[in-house]
Amino acid sequence: MVSEDKLREEVKKLLQEGKIKYFIGYENGGPGWLARPAFIQQPEAVSRLIWSPGCVHNLTRFLQDEKRRRAREKNPDLRPVGLIVKGCDSRAINVLLQEKYIERKDVYLIGVSCELLGVVDEAKITRRLYPAKPLQVRFGAKETILVLTDQGEREIAASEVLADRCLECPANFPLVADIVLGEKINRPNPQPYQSIASFEAKSLEERWAFWQEQFSRCLRCYACRSVCPMCYCDECVADSIVYAVSADTTAEEKAQKVKWVERNPEPQENIFYHLVRAIHLAGRCVDCGECERVCPVGLPLRLLNKKLEKEAKALFGYEVGLDANSPPLISCFRDNDPQDFIR
Amino acid sequence: MAEEFEPKIMAFICKWCTSAGADLAGVSRLEYPSNVIPIQVMCSGSVSPLYVFSALSQGADGVLVSGCHPGDCHYMKGNYYARRRLALVKKLLEYIGLEPERFQMSWVSATEGVKFTQIIKDLVKELQPLGPQTKLRRN
Repeated sequence: MVSEDKLREEVKKLLQEGKIKYFIGYENGGPGWLARPAFIQQPEAVSRLIWSPGCVHNLTRFLQDEKRRRAREKNPDLRPVGLIVKGCDSRAINVLLQEKYIERKDVYLIGVSCELLGVVDEAKITRRLYPAKPLQVRFGAKETILVLTDQGEREIAASEVLADRCLECPANFPLVADIVLGEKINRPNPQPYQSIASFEAKSLEERWAFWQEQFSRCLRCYACRSVCPMCYCDECVADSIVYAVSADTTAEEKAQKVKWVERNPEPQENIFYHLVRAIHLAGRCVDCGECERVCPVGLPLRLLNKKLEKEAKALFGYEVGLDANSPPLISCFRDNDPQDFIR
Repeated sequence: MAEEFEPKIMAFICKWCTSAGADLAGVSRLEYPSNVIPIQVMCSGSVSPLYVFSALSQGADGVLVSGCHPGDCHYMKGNYYARRRLALVKKLLEYIGLEPERFQMSWVSATEGVKFTQIIKDLVKELQPLGPQTKLRRN
């Protein structure tokens, strides 16, 4: 079991010794059970930190902001940033290290093991407890989650309310960390791609009908892109208004920017956008599930990402984020990669 | 009599092998359907997944990416990267429900003019029964 007191103590020590610039963790997020990211700068503020099944966010996303801030400042503070990482977040760190987006010395990682539990899915817990409203969630003993509702406390089996991604998690403990809290217990993972199995079994036309309906609902708010720890490009090919244009950009340079996707949310443009997003995450998506969580219209984006994760494993034997020293999926090849589809 | 559907095929062909192979087919006076629109690229490894999506969204009925045989790449390993990347693209397109025939890859060397004509003929034959590609086409 991860002790919150131990976590606070470690962070306090780091801040007092000045080893880290600031610490990114989780704090109580108002009236609901969902935690929110907390940025701790003062050693006294560590009491705000929590660790609960409501800590769903992938905090590695904030490293992008930190990197940009550093690039902007004249005399940047080069001390590392402290960060809580779950198993999935630590895989994201590995991918960022693989791609040399960050250096290991830029971050000080406090790993927390999810042990046999994980984080709670909002839809699942709401449905399970209806009409009661969940107010607080805590880890219980023996694979249960304790939920404080407006109608008293309940104990629910974890398998009922955990997010799908947690039930399919390939590594539920931090793979890279400076301090690890909690025990390293390997969760049995008998069906790692269960969530896409039933979808894959459908016929071509059924699959098309499904995606067409889903993508036509997309608003193109780009929340999935904004929240993704892997979408760190300054210029996005899928979005023409984030092209970096400065006072020095010549008309010729501007004209050379290719507009691959229109910004209007028409079904075909949406499909293009989501195809681009999915293929850019192939071999990089760590399945932290943030894109699906933040989607205002509830598109099943994990279904796309998980498929490419599965293909990377099946075709090339590549697993995402397990090793920071191996090359990324599409920057390497093997002589015997499958080519039965090539004439 | 109803006219037979003539598919429009975008072919991204590598400058060093397939393009030379297509030229050979030309100088050897081998006939093949005129449905293919060849675009010469420096290497099959330079074909971004975006090219494929973009071709489909701009109304191509089929997309062909063709490069050197493994081991023959002018840039040593470009086609190996292409193979890996485009395998994922193919899986993704099939997964969202596009007919697998619409995106194809081939290895054609500079001497294989006959193979190139055969691939185009086969492709046209496969695409004809599918009809126009409207799934990803921009309106």
